Amino acid sequence: MTGGVTGAERRPAWLPRIRPDRQLGWYALAAAIVVFVVGELIQPGFASAAGVKTVLVVASFVGLVAAGQTLVVLIGGIDLSVPWMMNSMAVLLATASIGSNARAAWVVPLVLITGALLGAVNGLGVAVLSVPAVVMTLGMNGVLQGLTLGLTGGFTCATCGSAAPPALDAAVNGSVFGLPGQLIILFLVAVLLTVLLSWTSFGRRIYATGTNPRASVLAGVNVTRLTIGLYSLSGLFAALAGILLTAYGGKATLGMGDPYLFQSIAAVVIGGVSILGGRGHYLGALAGSITLTALVSVLLAKDMPDYGRDVVYGVVVLVIALLYGRGEREAA
Amino acid sequence: MTATQTSPSAPPTSGSGENGGPLSRLSAQNTGLLLAWLLAAVMLVLYLVLFAARKSALPGNFELTSTVNNAVPLVFAALGQTFPVLTSGLDLSVGGVMDVSNSLAATQMGTGVGSILLWTVLILLFGAATGLVNGLLVAYGRLQPILVTLGTLAILQGIALKVLPQPGGTTPPLVTRTLSNPDAPYGLILVALACALWFVARRTTFGMRIYAVGNDRIAARARGIPVRRTLVLAYVTSGTFAAAAGLMLAATTTGGDAASGDVFTLISIAAVVIGGVSLFGGRGSGIGAILGAFVLTLLINVLFFASIDPLFQPFYEGVFLVLAAALTALAGYWLRRRRIERSQR
Repeated sequence: MTGGVTGAERRPAWLPRIRPDRQLGWYALAAAIVVFVVGELIQPGFASAAGVKTVLVVASFVGLVAAGQTLVVLIGGIDLSVPWMMNSMAVLLATASIGSNARAAWVVPLVLITGALLGAVNGLGVAVLSVPAVVMTLGMNGVLQGLTLGLTGGFTCATCGSAAPPALDAAVNGSVFGLPGQLIILFLVAVLLTVLLSWTSFGRRIYATGTNPRASVLAGVNVTRLTIGLYSLSGLFAALAGILLTAYGGKATLGMGDPYLFQSIAAVVIGGVSILGGRGHYLGALAGSITLTALVSVLLAKDMPDYGRDVVYGVVVLVIALLYGRGEREAA
Repeated sequence: MTATQTSPSAPPTSGSGENGGPLSRLSAQNTGLLLAWLLAAVMLVLYLVLFAARKSALPGNFELTSTVNNAVPLVFAALGQTFPVLTSGLDLSVGGVMDVSNSLAATQMGTGVGSILLWTVLILLFGAATGLVNGLLVAYGRLQPILVTLGTLAILQGIALKVLPQPGGTTPPLVTRTLSNPDAPYGLILVALACALWFVARRTTFGMRIYAVGNDRIAARARGIPVRRTLVLAYVTSGTFAAAAGLMLAATTTGGDAASGDVFTLISIAAVVIGGVSLFGGRGSGIGAILGAFVLTLLINVLFFASIDPLFQPFYEGVFLVLAAALTALAGYWLRRRRIERSQR
């Protein structure tokens, strides 16, 4: 990060000016393009319109979870409750709507509100009870897992296997204006968060709090309220991803949220959002989600076994973190 | 993670004794450990009462043995986790190391004493090597511990799947008999060993440096403490203990499963937090973490005797974790407030 300023000053005149704190996000986008090019070389058709669409659809779930994760990471927090937040909300959707469109009309808002409220509980624990974010969200993950498993009796309840409401199914797997529904939702979320982070005082307050919480309090930022709000948004986005994932797969299943903890944090890191808070942008995390998903798709196309995928995930995150996520020398 | 704290997070270190008596100072410095003892006592009483009510008898040799055997892997994992946490870090790779260690024990170990000893050493070395990688990346790579260990966790889970693609294999009977004897609570020896290791480690230069680094890294460096080397050693310790915990898990379960260690990442952190070790570093005791491991093990027993569906288990663990953390935070805050008030009087 420190090198970014001098780098911008030394740029040749023909290059557009890139703000140093956004530089890493652009790297993530460049990385996504490189992965698509390499994928096309390995497997012709990978970077075709259909191939790109497939990758984007899969990346949209990570992208949505990463939206919430970015917001809490920007204030120096972390949300480890996303796996079972997604999963419990997906189960709530399936069991409450039991495949009916009429029910879905009120169940979907209900699920989103529940997700936001549960996220707010995370925020309350972190901001008011001063429980470390890792512990609070880890505990919430356990609470939601236990409730989901216990209340569904290990997924043996009558309505547990209910299919997603047909309208949701049609929206996600069909097309709205020629695009799958969740890509449009993802686009809207990206626009919304870009506006919020870049052009509103809400965004300024997030960056201020992430950079120095105590100074922000003194500057008049209500850090407690902001923290609760951001964790609440993280819960909301996880619930949204859970709903879309249920619609995409047609059913809610146990453990469906598990991969998204690692992937959302990895996407945030690849996207250049500092895990210490205060630096980065959602667009970077979104590019990170696409890079990660594209990379996995390339590996799957090469018949990479499961264990190899895990190893590659880990290595990619560590290498990318080493490339640009390093802390200041003084802090070491 | 400290960023969202609005309450004063840096407690004033107790001065030359002008505020409060020695007892008040002791309680202020060991709030977490005292709470851990309290929680353990409450849990034990709850367990005894429930057991007596259900069976109209007191728990005997069998109950003691199974409780201790179930607790031992977590005791070691939690004690290992304590070291990085004391440096204000975190080791999420604990579960991954246990996966690999468990898989290796179930597939590679022969039944002979020689093979068992050889593989035990190799497994412990593997844990230490993993910790070395974590430590080097944290200390010299200047990366966030949570990020580094999340990355190595994924890599380790991959390695474990490669070693043991499907659950299976058997732990040599000799290992089970030694580390997890079903007939008598020999596991208590292992717990005593863990306590002894902690007492020794705490009093070595390394132990002192861990606290110094966790309390104030810059001050520690100014005092000439090799901060980076201490960090690396903390993760090496954690990795080695996690490997040992994986061996004990293999002994308890008598078989291998490449994913059976996964839960230990989370519950080792839970045990450490319940044991009153501060995630902000520099505060807490390995004894607290060991107590935390027993609290969590007893909790499972209590849930069982309270006839609560085991599916709800993560729910109670989560509630317990959050309550313990909130209680520690509030108690610490209250004690500090009281001391400040008293010193102003």
